[in-house]
Amino acid sequence: MTKGYAGQFLRVDLSSGVCENFTIDEAILRKFIGGSSLGAKLYIDSYNLHADPLAPESPLMVMTGPMVGSGFSGTSRFAVCGKSPLTGIWGEAACGGTFSPEMKRAGYDGIVITGASPKPVYLSLADGVAKLADASDLWGKDIYETTDVLKAPDKSIKVLAIGPAGENLVKFAAIGNDKAHFIGRTGLGAVMGSKRLKAIIARGSGRLEKADDARYKELARAAVQEIKDSTLAGSLHAMGSDAAMVTGMFSGDVPIKNWSVGEDFDLSISLGGPTLSEKYLTRAHACSNCSLACKRVVVVKDGPYQTEEGPGPEYETCGSFGTMLMNGDLTAVIKANELCNRYGMDTISCGSAIALSMELYEKGTLSKADVDGLDLAWGNMEAVMPLLKKIACREGFGDTLAEGSLNAARKIGKDAVDSVVHVKGLDLPMHDPRGFHGMGLAYMMSNRGACHLQHAALATEQGMASWPQLFDMKDDYNGQISDEKAVLIYNSENYGILGNSLSICHYLIYVLQPETIRDAFNAITGFNLSFKDLLEAGMRDWTLKRGINNLMGVTSRDDVLPRRVLTPLTDGAAAGSVPDMKRLLSEYYALRGLDERGFPREEKLAELGLPELRSMLYK
Amino acid sequence: MALKAFSQEWMDAWLKSIQTSQEYKEIAKEWEGSVSIIVNPDPSKGIPEPIYMWTDYWHGEAKDFHYCDKAKAESANFVMSGEYIRWKQVAKKELDSTKALMQGKLKLKGDLTYVVKHVKTVNKVVDLLAALDTVFPDD
Repeated sequence: MTKGYAGQFLRVDLSSGVCENFTIDEAILRKFIGGSSLGAKLYIDSYNLHADPLAPESPLMVMTGPMVGSGFSGTSRFAVCGKSPLTGIWGEAACGGTFSPEMKRAGYDGIVITGASPKPVYLSLADGVAKLADASDLWGKDIYETTDVLKAPDKSIKVLAIGPAGENLVKFAAIGNDKAHFIGRTGLGAVMGSKRLKAIIARGSGRLEKADDARYKELARAAVQEIKDSTLAGSLHAMGSDAAMVTGMFSGDVPIKNWSVGEDFDLSISLGGPTLSEKYLTRAHACSNCSLACKRVVVVKDGPYQTEEGPGPEYETCGSFGTMLMNGDLTAVIKANELCNRYGMDTISCGSAIALSMELYEKGTLSKADVDGLDLAWGNMEAVMPLLKKIACREGFGDTLAEGSLNAARKIGKDAVDSVVHVKGLDLPMHDPRGFHGMGLAYMMSNRGACHLQHAALATEQGMASWPQLFDMKDDYNGQISDEKAVLIYNSENYGILGNSLSICHYLIYVLQPETIRDAFNAITGFNLSFKDLLEAGMRDWTLKRGINNLMGVTSRDDVLPRRVLTPLTDGAAAGSVPDMKRLLSEYYALRGLDERGFPREEKLAELGLPELRSMLYK
Repeated sequence: MALKAFSQEWMDAWLKSIQTSQEYKEIAKEWEGSVSIIVNPDPSKGIPEPIYMWTDYWHGEAKDFHYCDKAKAESANFVMSGEYIRWKQVAKKELDSTKALMQGKLKLKGDLTYVVKHVKTVNKVVDLLAALDTVFPDD
């Protein structure tokens, strides 16, 4: 058995109820490593890329990586992947938490689920045995309730579950792990719902074998020390990801009022990490075995938006339910976050759809009657709370928004589509490309649509990290110029993508020295990959997913930023600045080996060892 | 005339520019606390010994800036330390001070949450420093 891996994968056909184990050759593991990279390889080899994302034949994959379960900080990540019902192209999302180490202890590196069960079921994994069980009593319950029921017999059981949004096929439905960690982007909770799979639970006693345990322990200790010494890690521990709300306002990173305003320091102070920690934090929380502990546990005890003690909002949520909606009430953001967690909805896409609605309401494109009598004025969070339930349950106007911003705008008609801020159907995360031109390129070229986590551009372009040992880069980039950004993004993708295949948290990629990560990976697997090998694995991942998207219909015409972020702001740190899209794309295409259609060239596919993709693209 | 970096004259000029900035007074009206700056020795760049500098700020006012000993420097509310070359980059605005902290090129001891909350104050102080006509030991 290859060290670092549990040694088997699971195939589940929910139509027949058959569960069967399978293995993957080490040669494949060395090339694709794990996580969503390996998921993409399984997908292209065995499944119909043209099937509807919600059709039974479309697979849903839950994938871990070889570092998961090792105990190394930041390696409790896992990816869920398949075809996105929101975008119609390759979909993936990842989170940390508790599930993936338990899944490996239960004996599985990955799960591929097809078919659709005639009745609601959940999948149970325990020490190499997989079983399906009736979940009829759980159907209709929210994620928190479902998790409590499934953990009742044994608190050490780890749970992945969908809520009403997944059941109702909301196109941005999320999957929750133990009520604290969420697979949010690209709507894979709806794929789970389409299969009537309410939950997956795992409990195991297996132990991960490492190639060089002594060396691994030395590196794990070094990683803990690096985290302790890092100001970035200290900031994340003290304030969570929401520290970026305050600093980002100075650099033009934070989107305001559906990307139409450039600066509002009152909002960033009232919504930022210092306020979140000072007023509502009860404790910091860590994913399994992580010594960084960036997660917030918060409670709102007073006022109209009281919550139970639970996971606090990330920066992205403080943007999507805060600045984007012109809402400076952090308690309302915390409440909206709790509701999205319970219903199971991606807070970025959900908040963005509501921001779109508020803009259209202000313009008169939507009337009060169109939105079920709600007053969708900017900042009116009293209207947002009931709207969240309407979206999750597909009631009234909520049914329109449940299709996602782009589809909702198409249904609303008039000029509504002009107000949607997306790439390839995925709403932009809360980082403005007018403040950081490289991020704009990364949005255009990320394989799941506009994304801040399919690369490490957030760290490199914003100056959180510098890795001259990996590639030629500067300590400090001016965000508002497009010079030198194509090569920066290309390199930042090739390295950052490893977060998805090794299953290591992006924050740890930012904080730890690349040598520490490489050496720990090698100590666990014995693969002895060099930086060159690892960066090539990153290139292979990107190119494979791009090829899958090409086969699903993506071309160069789709590599485009929305009009809103190509319109200069009149205020704030990024006033007057827009990315030079043409230049960025031209330079990037050359680096990536893409032809004028946006397809990887044959020689690039040969160079990266992707013959299956080559034969499908050039048959 | 250009001022010699890390000299008392240079510190006095920096202090004066802060004291006379109305914008600083407004931005920093809630800031409380001393900040020490430690420049690690680098003989090859003309810094044979560590340099310890004391700066003090209180609700929009800046107090005296002066050299101090190691013990006093380490007693400040916020202690920032780093290599000479990094301080030079920050003072010339070639490296943003927040980025330098996040990349580990400068170290901070003190309440990081407080610093993030008042990052506008920090940026203004650095802007005023960068505006000085400065000559560095290795220029």
